[in-house]
Amino acid sequence: MTEQPLTARSWLKTLATLERRRLNLAAFLGVLAGLQTVAIVVGVAWLVDQLVVHQQTPYQLLDLLGVLALCVAGRGVCQWGQEVVSLEASLRIRQYARRQVLDKFWALGPVWLAYRQSGALATQAVENIEALDGYFARFYTQLRIVSLLPLAILCIVVKLDYLVAIFLLISAPIIPLFMALVGMGAERVNREQFAAVARLSAHFIDRVRGMATLQLFGKTESAHRDVWWATDHYRRLSMRTLRLAFLSSAVLEFFASVAIAVVAMYVGFGLLGYIDYGPSASLTLFSGLAVLLLAPEFFQPLRTLSQHYHDRATALGAAESLITVLNESSTQRGSVLAASQNSHLARLKDICVEYSSRGRVLGPVSLTVDQGDVIALSGPSGSGKSTLLALFAGFLTPSQGELELAAPRYAWLDQQPALLHGTLADNLRLADPRADEAAMLVALEQAGLGELLAHLPSGLDTLIGERGLGLSGGQAQRLALARIYLSDADLILLDEPTASLDNDTEERVIQALLKWVGEGRTLIMATHHPRAIEVAKRHFRVREGQLEEVAHEA
Amino acid sequence: MKRSSSAQPSLLSRTRQALLPWIVLMTKRRRRFLAGALLIWLTLAAGLSLLGLSGWFITACALAGIALSLGLPSRLDVYVPGGGIRFFALLRTVARYIERLYNHDTVLRLLADLRYRVFGTLTRLDEAALRRHRMSDWLGRLTSDIDALDNLYLRLLMPPLVSLLVIVGVGLFVAIWWPGLASWLAGVLFVLWIGLTYGMARLCFVQSHRQVADQERLRRLVIDQLQATAELIAYQSAVWHRQQVATHEAASLDNQRRLGRYTAWGNSVIGVVTGLLLLGAIWFGGILVAEGTLAGPVLVMMLLIVLGINEVFVQLPIAFARLGGSVAAAERLNALDTEAPEKQLELPDQPLGIMMREVTHCYSSSAESTLSDISFTLGPGEQAVITGHSGAGKSTLAALLTGRLKASQGKVEIGGCEPWAVIDSQRSQRIALLTQQVDLFDASLEDNLRLGNAEASDEALWKVLEAVALDDWVRTLPAQLETPVGERGQQLSGGQARRVALARLLLMDPSLVILDEPFAAIDHATAEQVARALSDWLEGRTAIFFVHHGSRLLTQQVKHHWHLSAGKLGSER
Repeated sequence: MTEQPLTARSWLKTLATLERRRLNLAAFLGVLAGLQTVAIVVGVAWLVDQLVVHQQTPYQLLDLLGVLALCVAGRGVCQWGQEVVSLEASLRIRQYARRQVLDKFWALGPVWLAYRQSGALATQAVENIEALDGYFARFYTQLRIVSLLPLAILCIVVKLDYLVAIFLLISAPIIPLFMALVGMGAERVNREQFAAVARLSAHFIDRVRGMATLQLFGKTESAHRDVWWATDHYRRLSMRTLRLAFLSSAVLEFFASVAIAVVAMYVGFGLLGYIDYGPSASLTLFSGLAVLLLAPEFFQPLRTLSQHYHDRATALGAAESLITVLNESSTQRGSVLAASQNSHLARLKDICVEYSSRGRVLGPVSLTVDQGDVIALSGPSGSGKSTLLALFAGFLTPSQGELELAAPRYAWLDQQPALLHGTLADNLRLADPRADEAAMLVALEQAGLGELLAHLPSGLDTLIGERGLGLSGGQAQRLALARIYLSDADLILLDEPTASLDNDTEERVIQALLKWVGEGRTLIMATHHPRAIEVAKRHFRVREGQLEEVAHEA
Repeated sequence: MKRSSSAQPSLLSRTRQALLPWIVLMTKRRRRFLAGALLIWLTLAAGLSLLGLSGWFITACALAGIALSLGLPSRLDVYVPGGGIRFFALLRTVARYIERLYNHDTVLRLLADLRYRVFGTLTRLDEAALRRHRMSDWLGRLTSDIDALDNLYLRLLMPPLVSLLVIVGVGLFVAIWWPGLASWLAGVLFVLWIGLTYGMARLCFVQSHRQVADQERLRRLVIDQLQATAELIAYQSAVWHRQQVATHEAASLDNQRRLGRYTAWGNSVIGVVTGLLLLGAIWFGGILVAEGTLAGPVLVMMLLIVLGINEVFVQLPIAFARLGGSVAAAERLNALDTEAPEKQLELPDQPLGIMMREVTHCYSSSAESTLSDISFTLGPGEQAVITGHSGAGKSTLAALLTGRLKASQGKVEIGGCEPWAVIDSQRSQRIALLTQQVDLFDASLEDNLRLGNAEASDEALWKVLEAVALDDWVRTLPAQLETPVGERGQQLSGGQARRVALARLLLMDPSLVILDEPFAAIDHATAEQVARALSDWLEGRTAIFFVHHGSRLLTQQVKHHWHLSAGKLGSER
């Protein structure tokens, strides 16, 4: 991998180029809408001039009124188009980004995931991706509009009255300054608010999480008061910073207001003939009114941008967090699936596994697994059993040695079988998406869940997990057994299949092992259980990353 | 989509039902609310006045200028309108600044109120409800739901109120000069207002109502992928699962797309309606000016007010498009509300015995009962050990004994009283429980210890720390008792956290003590030391120990040994 690590900005930029066309179209429509506003404003000024000064009647001006009505309608269409097109771009970008993140999780594999909280990672793929919305749907487009529309307005103002244009122009170099000012203010507010809100939420969540303890100690009332005080204290602190932070956007407001006031005074006095330099002599009600109305329009795109500034900060924050995942090196998960020539199911030759953080955890190890082998691996925790099993499963790439795996599909069972948030049937389909109902019922029966199933009114369609039926640890393990029954995988990998189970379920597991051995399936299991070890044909003890075969007393 | 509207309660009644309790809560701050609305109104009014007056001023100047150039007498006071223009320009800026500050303050005050209220509801939840909510991301959603209601004020209540006030204000002002326009203007703007509030809400309710649920579903699917990665790779069913994620994501984005289109529609309607109003005003105003019944400068003033009025409405479409989301958030929070059970029994003032008869407990979400047909008696001052695997029902038994859960069947008595009905203060003083999962709060060590006894002296704190063999360690810390333990006690090791929890318990003076895995994650030598101190403290108290496997540490005083397996209680071995 020679790829450069992503930065939040570079990643957002890459994402934007994916939808460059739509984003540009949206900006174009936005500018078009802005120009139509300019046309309406100038048209209104001209109409007023005709009506008030030149004593025309509206009937004589019907043509222009018609044109302006078209502009009004056109502007509506353009605004709508701008919003819809940039929304579309944002939706597609988010879809793409989410796929990228999910692919990355996939590439990193179960060994990497084992040390992470899935809740926090899911936040990356869901909430943090959604947080990109405002940036693409609003900010990005508006940034382009800001660089074009004020310039166009300035050109028109030059034609009408160059003194006003100069006034706006003087403010123009100040605009980037203000933008930076506003931006910095907004970003600082955002950052500080974010940190404070996070702290405060943490306080609240901390107390809610410990509610049982508070109840046990009879401290709910004082904690209740604390919640209010903490929030109120935060309010006081936050108001102190906001007083300053809001000032920066007030400056922009002030400028937009002052522009109107200054232009109005200048035009008014010019029309009265009090000003006798520059272009003021040639001011008419038309040109005066037009520049008056164009002055706020000149600042409008900038004001809109400053309203969307927090979108940028939010997206940058989310992107910052997302690239930590995207920048993980994904060499950790193996993609070694070389077919072996002879009857071996798997062959390990002088394999070593090293982690940068923990050094060598396994190896050198050599082991050949043939069809029908039943292998037990035992040893203290941390000895490398699970690593060895992960190698057979293809979750890991060895740092050294040769690894050949022949079984494309295999069954997997560990201490904590994964339960999907779905129906019983979904959880079985995990093992075989094409399985029919009859096969599922047989598998459940074999795993000893027949009785439970008989009690469920919705049968296989019963939702399990948080939203539905709660399964005990034993039931979950039986469901995992049912998965193995359902799949006809030749190779079955089991990581501590009997750990912390009740006696009944433990017995189930042992019976299942015997049955699979009888069927001639190949089993590799990491286990301490004496009876499970008895089932095995070969028993290896793993100690400090080394394998030693234990002679089986028959 | 096919849901008939008649079967569902109407949008208005559903919204009212969900939001009413929260709006009532907000009326506590109605003065701030009104002041905030007035400030926004002032900002908008100053903006409109600035434009209107400026228009009037330059038109009047233009006419006066023409008259002067023709040699006609003309008098125009330029100082009053000039001052007015400067005043409004300044007022708009200042009012905006104060308004933002003031309303932000109100929102934060509201946040405190909301959290206070929700927390109060949560303190009344029993173990079953807490257990349900302890799961996954409920806590995160809880805070975002509260934030959603927090926004209610700035997004849903303020803007429509203010825009209505502006419509009335503008209508009245225009009526002074041009009554014909005033009624038209107010009429059209009012219809627009209805459309942007009620209309938008109606159009988008279903979509925005399901947005959070959509996101949560997606989240669950992602968690599934993460937790089942091993299985998905093994069984080669990744494509199948990713297809599910993609299908659901597409549906959710489609929903957002529709919502966004409606909102865009609402936004452009504002521009079109106010634009056409402007052209209409020019047309009719032009006629009046030509007839000589309306002065030119007044016409321009009216026109510029109409031109600026769109700013009053811009916040409405997006806010009301999201009404469904706020209602959904409120509905979720309302669902937490439970009646506080009647609690008035008092425990007898003597050592407490335990009697359980044929107790069965079944959580509503579970397929089998967690405890079934449990009967035992434990005399006052006696001690018992109950062994069992995790998931055997120990925590449920503990919750029943501490009165934080009501048994589905059977009888539980502590000192002759049903613990469920004992008043809270009595219960927490007389019955103590060391839970299996230790909850330390993100505060100092001292604060966490004082949870056991707020009045405990510093010596007492050191004494209990000594009892759990933590005193030496605490003395080495720079902040000693003031050391923060971190969120969920993360600054401590598992064994240290457990011992802090135990020390906290030792500060109390309960009659009945239940200890769930008191020595978990504590090394053997330390455990022996702790066990000695513990058995001194337990002298004369009724106690139950829950342990994984029989422990040699507890043999001296323990009278009964029981075994809990799959919800059934039997004699040990």
